Amino acid sequence: MKSRLRRYFLSSRSENVIHLIAALLLFASAATAAEVIPPKPARYFNDYAGVVSQTAALRFNEQLAQFERETSNQVVVAVFTKMQSDSDIADYTQRVAQAWGVGQKERRNGVVLFVFVQDRKMFIQVGYGLEGALPDAIAFDITERRIKPHFRSGDYEGGLAAGIASIFQAIRGEYKGTGKTVVEQRGRAPTAGLVSLLIFIIFLVAISRALRRLSGYGYSSRRGGPIFIPMGFGGGGGGWSSSSGGGFSGFSGGGGSFGGGGAGSSW
Amino acid sequence: MNKFAIGCGGLIVILLFLVLVVGLFFGGTYNRLVRLQQSVDQQWAQVQNVYQRRADLIPNLVNTVQGAANFEKSTLVEITNARASVGRVQLDPNKAPSDAAQLEQFQAAQGQLSNALSRLLVVVERYPELRANQNFLSLQAQLEGTENRISVERGNFNSAVQNYNTAVRTFPTNMIAGVLGFSPRPFFTAQAGAERPPPVQFNFGSPAPAPSPAATP
Repeated sequence: MKSRLRRYFLSSRSENVIHLIAALLLFASAATAAEVIPPKPARYFNDYAGVVSQTAALRFNEQLAQFERETSNQVVVAVFTKMQSDSDIADYTQRVAQAWGVGQKERRNGVVLFVFVQDRKMFIQVGYGLEGALPDAIAFDITERRIKPHFRSGDYEGGLAAGIASIFQAIRGEYKGTGKTVVEQRGRAPTAGLVSLLIFIIFLVAISRALRRLSGYGYSSRRGGPIFIPMGFGGGGGGWSSSSGGGFSGFSGGGGSFGGGGAGSSW
Repeated sequence: MNKFAIGCGGLIVILLFLVLVVGLFFGGTYNRLVRLQQSVDQQWAQVQNVYQRRADLIPNLVNTVQGAANFEKSTLVEITNARASVGRVQLDPNKAPSDAAQLEQFQAAQGQLSNALSRLLVVVERYPELRANQNFLSLQAQLEGTENRISVERGNFNSAVQNYNTAVRTFPTNMIAGVLGFSPRPFFTAQAGAERPPPVQFNFGSPAPAPSPAATP
Protein backbone atom coordinates (compact mmCIF):
# COMPACT_ATOMS: atom_id res chain seq x y z
CA MET A 1 0.00 0.00 0.00
CA LYS A 2 2.72 2.38 0.99
CA SER A 3 4.84 1.67 -2.05
CA ARG A 4 1.80 2.13 -4.22
CA LEU A 5 1.20 5.47 -2.65
CA ARG A 6 4.81 6.47 -3.17
CA ARG A 7 4.66 5.42 -6.76
CA TYR A 8 1.52 7.46 -7.15
CA PHE A 9 3.23 10.56 -5.89
CA LEU A 10 6.34 9.94 -7.96
CA SER A 11 4.49 9.25 -11.15
CA SER A 12 4.42 11.80 -13.90
CA ARG A 13 2.19 14.80 -13.69
CA SER A 14 -0.15 13.79 -16.50
CA GLU A 15 -0.69 10.43 -14.87
CA ASN A 16 -1.50 12.21 -11.63
CA VAL A 17 -4.05 14.30 -13.41
CA ILE A 18 -5.68 11.24 -14.88
CA HIS A 19 -5.77 9.58 -11.47
CA LEU A 20 -7.19 12.70 -9.92
CA ILE A 21 -9.94 12.94 -12.50
CA ALA A 22 -10.75 9.27 -12.17
CA ALA A 23 -10.87 9.57 -8.38
CA LEU A 24 -13.10 12.61 -8.61
CA LEU A 25 -15.46 10.89 -11.01
CA LEU A 26 -15.61 7.85 -8.78
CA PHE A 27 -16.19 9.99 -5.73
CA ALA A 28 -18.90 12.00 -7.45
CA SER A 29 -20.74 8.94 -8.68
CA ALA A 30 -20.48 7.24 -5.30
CA ALA A 31 -21.76 10.31 -3.51
CA THR A 32 -24.77 10.80 -5.76
CA ALA A 33 -25.64 7.19 -6.45
CA ALA A 34 -28.46 6.86 -3.97
CA GLU A 35 -29.49 10.48 -3.82
CA VAL A 36 -32.17 12.28 -5.80
CA ILE A 37 -32.30 16.05 -5.80
CA PRO A 38 -35.92 16.86 -6.67
CA PRO A 39 -36.49 19.28 -9.56
CA LYS A 40 -37.11 22.94 -8.80
CA PRO A 41 -40.64 23.42 -7.52
CA ALA A 42 -43.12 25.45 -9.56
CA ARG A 43 -44.95 26.77 -6.52
CA TYR A 44 -44.20 28.09 -3.07
CA PHE A 45 -46.27 25.43 -1.37
CA ASN A 46 -45.60 21.95 -2.75
CA ASP A 47 -47.49 19.04 -1.31
CA TYR A 48 -46.02 16.05 -3.12
CA ALA A 49 -47.35 13.71 -0.45
CA GLY A 50 -50.96 14.81 -0.70
CA VAL A 51 -51.55 15.44 3.00
CA VAL A 52 -53.20 18.84 2.67
CA SER A 53 -56.49 19.79 0.99
CA GLN A 54 -56.45 21.63 -2.35
CA THR A 55 -57.96 24.80 -0.93
CA ALA A 56 -55.49 24.93 1.95
CA ALA A 57 -52.57 24.33 -0.43
CA LEU A 58 -53.72 27.21 -2.62
CA ARG A 59 -54.18 29.43 0.41
CA PHE A 60 -50.69 28.64 1.73
CA ASN A 61 -49.22 29.23 -1.70
CA GLU A 62 -50.77 32.68 -2.00
CA GLN A 63 -49.67 33.57 1.53
CA LEU A 64 -46.10 32.66 0.68
CA ALA A 65 -46.17 34.52 -2.64
CA GLN A 66 -47.61 37.59 -0.96
CA PHE A 67 -44.86 37.36 1.64
CA GLU A 68 -42.23 37.55 -1.08
CA ARG A 69 -43.93 40.60 -2.59
CA GLU A 70 -43.89 42.35 0.77
CA THR A 71 -40.49 41.33 2.11
CA SER A 72 -38.57 39.77 -0.82
CA ASN A 73 -37.95 36.75 1.44
CA GLN A 74 -38.69 33.53 -0.38
CA VAL A 75 -40.23 30.91 1.86
CA VAL A 76 -40.91 27.54 0.24
CA VAL A 77 -42.66 24.55 1.77
CA ALA A 78 -42.05 21.07 0.35
CA VAL A 79 -43.86 18.05 1.70
CA PHE A 80 -42.44 14.76 0.40
CA THR A 81 -43.44 11.22 1.20
CA LYS A 82 -39.90 9.94 1.66
CA MET A 83 -36.35 11.21 1.72
CA GLN A 84 -34.49 10.01 -1.40
CA SER A 85 -31.03 9.95 0.11
CA ASP A 86 -28.89 8.03 2.57
CA SER A 87 -27.43 11.22 3.98
CA ASP A 88 -28.37 13.01 7.12
CA ILE A 89 -31.50 15.14 6.70
CA ALA A 90 -29.56 18.34 7.43
CA ASP A 91 -26.99 17.65 4.70
CA TYR A 92 -29.51 16.47 2.16
CA THR A 93 -31.96 19.34 2.58
CA GLN A 94 -29.11 21.85 2.42
CA ARG A 95 -28.12 20.47 -0.97
CA VAL A 96 -31.72 20.55 -2.20
CA ALA A 97 -32.35 24.11 -0.98
CA GLN A 98 -29.08 25.23 -2.56
CA ALA A 99 -29.97 23.54 -5.85
CA TRP A 100 -33.38 25.22 -5.88
CA GLY A 101 -31.79 28.63 -5.29
CA VAL A 102 -34.51 29.81 -2.93
CA GLY A 103 -34.06 33.45 -1.87
CA GLN A 104 -32.76 36.51 -3.70
CA LYS A 105 -29.22 36.16 -4.96
CA GLU A 106 -27.75 39.18 -3.18
CA ARG A 107 -29.72 38.97 0.05
CA ARG A 108 -29.61 35.17 0.21
CA ASN A 109 -32.90 35.34 2.06
CA GLY A 110 -34.53 31.99 1.46
CA VAL A 111 -36.15 29.58 3.88
CA VAL A 112 -37.33 26.08 2.98
CA LEU A 113 -39.44 23.94 5.25
CA PHE A 114 -38.96 20.30 4.29
CA VAL A 115 -41.34 17.62 5.56
CA PHE A 116 -40.84 13.90 4.94
CA VAL A 117 -44.09 12.27 5.95
CA GLN A 118 -43.08 8.61 6.02
CA ASP A 119 -39.76 9.32 7.70
CA ARG A 120 -41.63 11.48 10.23
CA LYS A 121 -38.91 14.10 9.91
CA MET A 122 -38.82 17.77 9.07
CA PHE A 123 -36.16 20.40 8.65
CA ILE A 124 -36.10 24.16 8.22
CA GLN A 125 -33.23 25.28 5.99
CA VAL A 126 -32.29 28.91 6.49
CA GLY A 127 -30.36 30.91 3.87
CA TYR A 128 -27.24 32.81 4.84
CA GLY A 129 -29.03 36.15 4.88
CA LEU A 130 -31.63 35.07 7.41
CA GLU A 131 -29.42 33.24 9.88
CA GLY A 132 -29.58 36.29 12.13
CA ALA A 133 -33.35 36.63 12.08
CA LEU A 134 -34.04 32.92 12.25
CA PRO A 135 -31.22 31.33 14.25
CA ASP A 136 -31.02 27.60 14.79
CA ALA A 137 -32.51 27.78 18.27
CA ILE A 138 -35.64 29.52 16.95
CA ALA A 139 -35.88 27.18 13.98
CA PHE A 140 -35.71 24.30 16.41
CA ASP A 141 -38.36 25.91 18.56
CA ILE A 142 -40.64 26.21 15.52
CA THR A 143 -40.29 22.58 14.46
CA GLU A 144 -40.33 21.19 17.98
CA ARG A 145 -43.01 23.24 19.67
CA ARG A 146 -45.14 24.81 16.95
CA ILE A 147 -45.30 22.15 14.25
CA LYS A 148 -44.58 18.85 15.96
CA PRO A 149 -47.62 18.75 18.29
CA HIS A 150 -49.92 19.14 15.26
CA PHE A 151 -48.08 16.51 13.22
CA ARG A 152 -48.21 14.09 16.14
CA SER A 153 -51.97 14.21 16.08
CA GLY A 154 -52.01 13.87 12.28
CA ASP A 155 -53.01 17.47 11.67
CA TYR A 156 -50.64 18.37 8.84
CA GLU A 157 -52.62 21.39 7.76
CA GLY A 158 -52.57 22.92 11.23
CA GLY A 159 -48.87 22.15 11.71
CA LEU A 160 -47.90 23.70 8.39
CA ALA A 161 -50.07 26.76 9.05
CA ALA A 162 -48.41 27.23 12.43
CA GLY A 163 -44.96 26.68 10.93
CA ILE A 164 -45.50 29.18 8.13
CA ALA A 165 -46.88 31.78 10.54
CA SER A 166 -43.93 31.33 12.92
CA ILE A 167 -41.37 31.62 10.14
CA PHE A 168 -43.09 34.78 8.88
CA GLN A 169 -43.04 36.22 12.36
CA ALA A 170 -39.33 35.58 12.77
CA ILE A 171 -38.11 36.99 9.45
CA ARG A 172 -40.67 39.66 8.56
CA GLY A 173 -38.69 42.73 9.57
CA GLU A 174 -35.40 41.74 7.98
CA TYR A 175 -35.77 42.97 4.39
CA LYS A 176 -38.16 45.11 2.36
CA GLY A 177 -39.88 43.76 -0.73
CA THR A 178 -40.41 45.26 -4.16
CA GLY A 179 -44.08 44.33 -4.40
CA LYS A 180 -43.28 41.66 -6.96
CA THR A 181 -42.09 38.08 -6.91
CA VAL A 182 -39.17 36.86 -8.99
CA VAL A 183 -41.59 35.39 -11.54
CA GLU A 184 -43.54 38.63 -11.79
CA GLN A 185 -40.38 40.68 -12.21
CA ARG A 186 -39.17 38.38 -14.90
CA GLY A 187 -42.34 39.10 -16.88
CA ARG A 188 -40.68 42.33 -17.96
CA ALA A 189 -37.51 40.69 -19.19
CA PRO A 190 -38.72 39.57 -22.67
CA THR A 191 -39.28 43.16 -23.82
CA ALA A 192 -35.80 44.18 -22.72
CA GLY A 193 -34.41 41.07 -24.39
CA LEU A 194 -36.27 41.83 -27.61
CA VAL A 195 -35.00 45.39 -27.74
CA SER A 196 -31.40 44.32 -27.33
CA LEU A 197 -31.91 41.59 -29.95
CA LEU A 198 -33.32 44.18 -32.35
CA ILE A 199 -30.38 46.51 -31.81
CA PHE A 200 -28.04 43.59 -32.36
CA ILE A 201 -29.72 42.67 -35.66
CA ILE A 202 -29.52 46.27 -36.88
CA PHE A 203 -25.84 46.24 -35.95
CA LEU A 204 -25.30 43.03 -37.91
CA VAL A 205 -27.03 44.41 -40.98
CA ALA A 206 -24.96 47.59 -40.85
CA ILE A 207 -21.73 45.60 -40.59
CA SER A 208 -22.59 43.24 -43.39
CA ARG A 209 -23.43 46.24 -45.60
CA ALA A 210 -20.13 47.89 -44.77
CA LEU A 211 -18.31 44.66 -45.54
CA ARG A 212 -20.13 44.27 -48.82
CA ARG A 213 -18.96 47.73 -49.80
CA LEU A 214 -15.41 46.85 -48.74
CA SER A 215 -15.48 43.63 -50.71
CA GLY A 216 -15.15 45.69 -53.89
CA TYR A 217 -11.57 46.43 -52.82
CA GLY A 218 -10.31 42.90 -53.16
CA TYR A 219 -11.74 41.06 -50.15
CA SER A 220 -13.72 37.99 -50.90
CA SER A 221 -17.36 38.66 -50.25
CA ARG A 222 -17.78 35.31 -48.56
CA ARG A 223 -15.54 36.25 -45.67
CA GLY A 224 -17.60 38.92 -44.00
CA GLY A 225 -20.82 37.19 -43.20
CA PRO A 226 -20.51 34.19 -40.98
CA ILE A 227 -17.67 35.45 -38.76
CA PHE A 228 -19.95 37.56 -36.66
CA ILE A 229 -22.73 35.07 -36.25
CA PRO A 230 -21.29 32.69 -33.63
CA MET A 231 -21.05 35.34 -30.96
CA GLY A 232 -24.69 36.31 -31.40
CA PHE A 233 -27.81 35.49 -29.41
CA GLY A 234 -25.95 35.18 -26.12
CA GLY A 235 -27.27 38.31 -24.50
CA GLY A 236 -30.71 38.32 -26.02
CA GLY A 237 -33.87 36.50 -25.08
CA GLY A 238 -34.13 36.47 -21.29
CA GLY A 239 -36.56 34.17 -19.49
CA TRP A 240 -39.88 33.45 -21.08
CA SER A 241 -40.41 30.88 -18.37
CA SER A 242 -42.99 32.61 -16.21
CA SER A 243 -45.67 30.00 -15.79
CA SER A 244 -48.15 31.73 -13.57
CA GLY A 245 -51.19 30.19 -15.21
CA GLY A 246 -53.69 27.98 -13.44
CA GLY A 247 -54.72 30.36 -10.69
CA PHE A 248 -51.67 30.02 -8.43
CA SER A 249 -48.65 32.23 -8.07
CA GLY A 250 -45.66 30.55 -9.66
CA PHE A 251 -42.39 30.27 -7.84
CA SER A 252 -38.92 30.75 -9.19
CA GLY A 253 -35.79 30.85 -7.07
CA GLY A 254 -33.81 34.06 -7.08
CA GLY A 255 -30.48 32.25 -6.72
CA GLY A 256 -30.14 32.34 -2.93
CA SER A 257 -27.62 30.18 -1.13
CA PHE A 258 -27.61 28.09 2.01
CA GLY A 259 -24.85 27.38 4.49
CA GLY A 260 -26.44 24.70 6.64
CA GLY A 261 -28.29 27.01 9.02
CA GLY A 262 -31.56 25.86 10.50
CA ALA A 263 -32.84 22.97 12.55
CA GLY A 264 -35.25 20.08 12.42
CA SER A 265 -37.25 17.61 14.45
CA SER A 266 -38.73 14.20 14.08
CA TRP A 267 -42.16 13.34 15.35
CA MET B 1 3.18 46.32 -56.28
CA ASN B 2 -0.27 46.79 -54.98
CA LYS B 3 -0.54 43.08 -54.33
CA PHE B 4 2.80 43.07 -52.48
CA ALA B 5 1.71 45.90 -50.22
CA ILE B 6 -1.47 44.06 -49.39
CA GLY B 7 0.55 40.93 -48.66
CA CYS B 8 2.93 42.78 -46.31
CA GLY B 9 0.06 44.47 -44.57
CA GLY B 10 -1.65 41.13 -44.19
CA LEU B 11 1.45 39.61 -42.63
CA ILE B 12 1.76 42.43 -40.15
CA VAL B 13 -1.90 42.14 -39.29
CA ILE B 14 -1.49 38.41 -38.74
CA LEU B 15 1.57 38.90 -36.54
CA LEU B 16 -0.16 41.57 -34.49
CA PHE B 17 -3.12 39.28 -34.20
CA LEU B 18 -0.91 36.44 -32.92
CA VAL B 19 0.77 38.70 -30.36
CA LEU B 20 -2.65 39.88 -29.27
CA VAL B 21 -3.94 36.32 -28.94
CA VAL B 22 -0.95 35.19 -26.88
CA GLY B 23 -1.18 38.27 -24.68
CA LEU B 24 -4.87 37.79 -24.16
CA PHE B 25 -4.30 34.14 -23.35
CA PHE B 26 -1.64 34.99 -20.75
CA GLY B 27 -3.67 37.78 -19.24
CA GLY B 28 -6.89 35.82 -19.25
CA THR B 29 -5.25 32.80 -17.65
CA TYR B 30 -3.58 34.89 -15.00
CA ASN B 31 -6.82 36.62 -14.15
CA ARG B 32 -8.66 33.35 -14.02
CA LEU B 33 -6.10 31.83 -11.67
CA VAL B 34 -6.22 34.86 -9.41
CA ARG B 35 -10.00 34.67 -9.32
CA LEU B 36 -9.92 30.98 -8.48
CA GLN B 37 -7.32 31.53 -5.80
CA GLN B 38 -9.35 34.31 -4.30
CA SER B 39 -12.42 32.15 -4.13
CA VAL B 40 -10.34 29.51 -2.33
CA ASP B 41 -9.21 32.12 0.21
CA GLN B 42 -12.75 33.38 0.57
CA GLN B 43 -14.03 29.90 1.27
CA TRP B 44 -11.24 29.38 3.74
CA ALA B 45 -12.38 32.45 5.64
CA GLN B 46 -15.86 30.92 5.77
CA VAL B 47 -14.42 27.67 7.10
CA GLN B 48 -12.53 29.51 9.84
CA ASN B 49 -15.66 31.45 10.59
CA VAL B 50 -17.82 28.43 11.31
CA TYR B 51 -15.11 26.69 13.31
CA GLN B 52 -14.73 29.85 15.37
CA ARG B 53 -18.46 29.89 15.90
CA ARG B 54 -18.26 26.42 17.34
CA ALA B 55 -15.37 27.32 19.62
CA ASP B 56 -17.37 30.30 20.87
CA LEU B 57 -20.30 28.10 21.81
CA ILE B 58 -18.25 25.83 24.02
CA PRO B 59 -17.80 27.90 27.22
CA ASN B 60 -21.55 28.43 27.35
CA LEU B 61 -22.16 24.75 26.74
CA VAL B 62 -19.71 23.66 29.40
CA ASN B 63 -21.22 26.03 31.93
CA THR B 64 -24.72 24.79 31.27
CA VAL B 65 -23.73 21.16 31.47
CA GLN B 66 -21.66 21.71 34.60
CA GLY B 67 -24.78 22.97 36.31
CA ALA B 68 -26.34 19.53 36.03
CA ALA B 69 -26.00 17.47 39.20
CA ASN B 70 -22.64 15.62 39.29
CA PHE B 71 -22.14 15.62 35.55
CA GLU B 72 -19.36 13.35 34.39
CA LYS B 73 -16.17 15.38 34.64
CA SER B 74 -14.00 13.51 32.16
CA THR B 75 -16.13 14.50 29.17
CA LEU B 76 -15.96 18.15 30.11
CA VAL B 77 -12.22 18.02 30.70
CA GLU B 78 -11.79 16.46 27.30
CA ILE B 79 -13.82 19.18 25.60
CA THR B 80 -11.98 21.96 27.37
CA ASN B 81 -8.63 20.46 26.41
CA ALA B 82 -9.67 19.91 22.82
CA ARG B 83 -10.82 23.49 22.56
CA ALA B 84 -7.52 24.71 23.95
CA SER B 85 -5.58 22.66 21.42
CA VAL B 86 -7.76 24.05 18.63
CA GLY B 87 -6.83 27.52 19.83
CA ARG B 88 -3.16 26.64 19.51
CA VAL B 89 -3.43 25.68 15.83
CA GLN B 90 -4.27 29.12 14.53
CA LEU B 91 -3.96 29.62 10.78
CA ASP B 92 -4.26 32.84 8.83
CA PRO B 93 -8.02 33.30 8.43
CA ASN B 94 -7.66 35.30 5.20
CA LYS B 95 -5.35 33.04 3.29
CA ALA B 96 -5.94 29.37 2.69
CA PRO B 97 -3.03 27.18 3.82
CA SER B 98 -0.68 26.15 1.05
CA ASP B 99 1.06 23.56 3.21
CA ALA B 100 -0.72 20.22 3.45
CA ALA B 101 0.81 19.42 6.86
CA GLN B 102 -0.54 22.66 8.29
CA LEU B 103 -4.04 21.89 7.14
CA GLU B 104 -3.75 18.37 8.46
CA GLN B 105 -2.77 19.64 11.89
CA PHE B 106 -5.69 22.04 11.87
CA GLN B 107 -8.02 19.27 10.84
CA ALA B 108 -6.70 16.91 13.50
CA ALA B 109 -7.25 19.44 16.27
CA GLN B 110 -10.75 20.26 15.06
CA GLY B 111 -11.53 16.57 14.64
CA GLN B 112 -10.61 15.96 18.27
CA LEU B 113 -13.02 18.66 19.34
CA SER B 114 -15.74 17.17 17.13
CA ASN B 115 -15.27 13.79 18.75
CA ALA B 116 -15.34 15.24 22.24
CA LEU B 117 -18.51 17.14 21.46
CA SER B 118 -20.36 14.23 19.95
CA ARG B 119 -19.36 12.15 22.96
CA LEU B 120 -20.81 14.83 25.20
CA LEU B 121 -24.11 14.72 23.35
CA VAL B 122 -24.25 10.97 23.84
CA VAL B 123 -23.40 11.20 27.54
CA VAL B 124 -26.06 13.84 28.03
CA GLU B 125 -28.69 11.26 27.13
CA ARG B 126 -28.19 9.84 30.61
CA TYR B 127 -29.11 13.10 32.31
CA PRO B 128 -32.86 13.69 32.04
CA GLU B 129 -32.41 16.92 33.96
CA LEU B 130 -30.33 18.31 31.08
CA ARG B 131 -32.58 17.07 28.36
CA ALA B 132 -35.43 19.05 29.92
CA ASN B 133 -33.28 22.17 30.28
CA GLN B 134 -34.38 24.83 27.76
CA ASN B 135 -31.01 26.48 27.75
CA PHE B 136 -29.28 23.22 26.98
CA LEU B 137 -31.75 22.33 24.22
CA SER B 138 -31.19 25.66 22.56
CA LEU B 139 -27.43 25.22 22.83
CA GLN B 140 -27.72 21.76 21.37
CA ALA B 141 -29.68 23.12 18.40
CA GLN B 142 -27.00 25.76 17.88
CA LEU B 143 -24.25 23.22 18.14
CA GLU B 144 -25.90 20.91 15.62
CA GLY B 145 -26.48 23.85 13.30
CA THR B 146 -22.84 24.78 13.59
CA GLU B 147 -21.75 21.25 12.75
CA ASN B 148 -23.98 21.41 9.68
CA ARG B 149 -22.44 24.70 8.68
CA ILE B 150 -18.98 23.26 9.14
CA SER B 151 -19.73 20.39 6.81
CA VAL B 152 -21.22 22.75 4.21
CA GLU B 153 -18.32 25.19 4.31
CA ARG B 154 -15.76 22.41 4.21
CA GLY B 155 -17.50 21.04 1.14
CA ASN B 156 -17.56 24.48 -0.48
CA PHE B 157 -13.90 24.98 0.34
CA ASN B 158 -13.01 21.63 -1.17
CA SER B 159 -14.84 22.35 -4.39
CA ALA B 160 -13.19 25.79 -4.63
CA VAL B 161 -9.79 24.13 -4.16
CA GLN B 162 -10.72 21.48 -6.69
CA ASN B 163 -11.58 24.11 -9.30
CA TYR B 164 -8.34 25.92 -8.61
CA ASN B 165 -6.19 22.79 -8.60
CA THR B 166 -7.77 21.51 -11.79
CA ALA B 167 -6.94 24.81 -13.47
CA VAL B 168 -3.38 24.77 -12.14
CA ARG B 169 -2.76 21.19 -13.21
CA THR B 170 -4.44 20.89 -16.58
CA PHE B 171 -3.23 21.86 -20.01
CA PRO B 172 -2.75 24.57 -21.17
CA THR B 173 -3.01 26.51 -17.93
CA ASN B 174 -0.38 24.39 -16.17
CA MET B 175 2.33 25.82 -18.48
CA ILE B 176 1.60 29.31 -17.22
CA ALA B 177 0.65 28.49 -13.64
CA GLY B 178 4.14 27.24 -12.86
CA VAL B 179 5.81 30.32 -14.34
CA LEU B 180 3.51 32.69 -12.44
CA GLY B 181 3.94 30.84 -9.14
CA PHE B 182 0.54 29.24 -8.73
CA SER B 183 0.84 25.91 -6.97
CA PRO B 184 -1.88 23.40 -6.05
CA ARG B 185 -3.52 23.81 -2.65
CA PRO B 186 -4.33 21.10 -0.10
CA PHE B 187 -7.94 20.34 0.77
CA PHE B 188 -9.84 18.66 3.57
CA THR B 189 -9.87 14.91 3.53
CA ALA B 190 -12.48 12.72 5.12
CA GLN B 191 -10.94 11.64 8.40
CA ALA B 192 -10.03 8.02 8.75
CA GLY B 193 -13.03 6.41 10.36
CA ALA B 194 -15.23 9.46 9.87
CA GLU B 195 -17.87 7.25 8.28
CA ARG B 196 -18.19 5.37 11.57
CA PRO B 197 -19.70 7.08 14.60
CA PRO B 198 -17.13 7.94 17.25
CA PRO B 199 -16.64 5.30 19.93
CA VAL B 200 -18.22 5.99 23.28
CA GLN B 201 -16.42 4.80 26.36
CA PHE B 202 -18.15 4.89 29.69
CA ASN B 203 -15.16 5.09 31.97
CA PHE B 204 -16.62 6.38 35.19
CA GLY B 205 -13.54 5.86 37.31
CA SER B 206 -10.43 7.21 35.63
CA PRO B 207 -10.63 10.40 33.60
CA ALA B 208 -9.96 10.16 29.89
CA PRO B 209 -6.36 10.84 28.88
CA ALA B 210 -5.94 14.50 28.08
CA PRO B 211 -5.58 14.83 24.30
CA SER B 212 -2.81 16.97 22.95
CA PRO B 213 -2.27 18.11 19.38
CA ALA B 214 1.36 17.01 19.39
CA ALA B 215 0.37 13.43 20.11
CA THR B 216 -0.18 12.67 16.44
CA PRO B 217 2.86 10.76 15.18
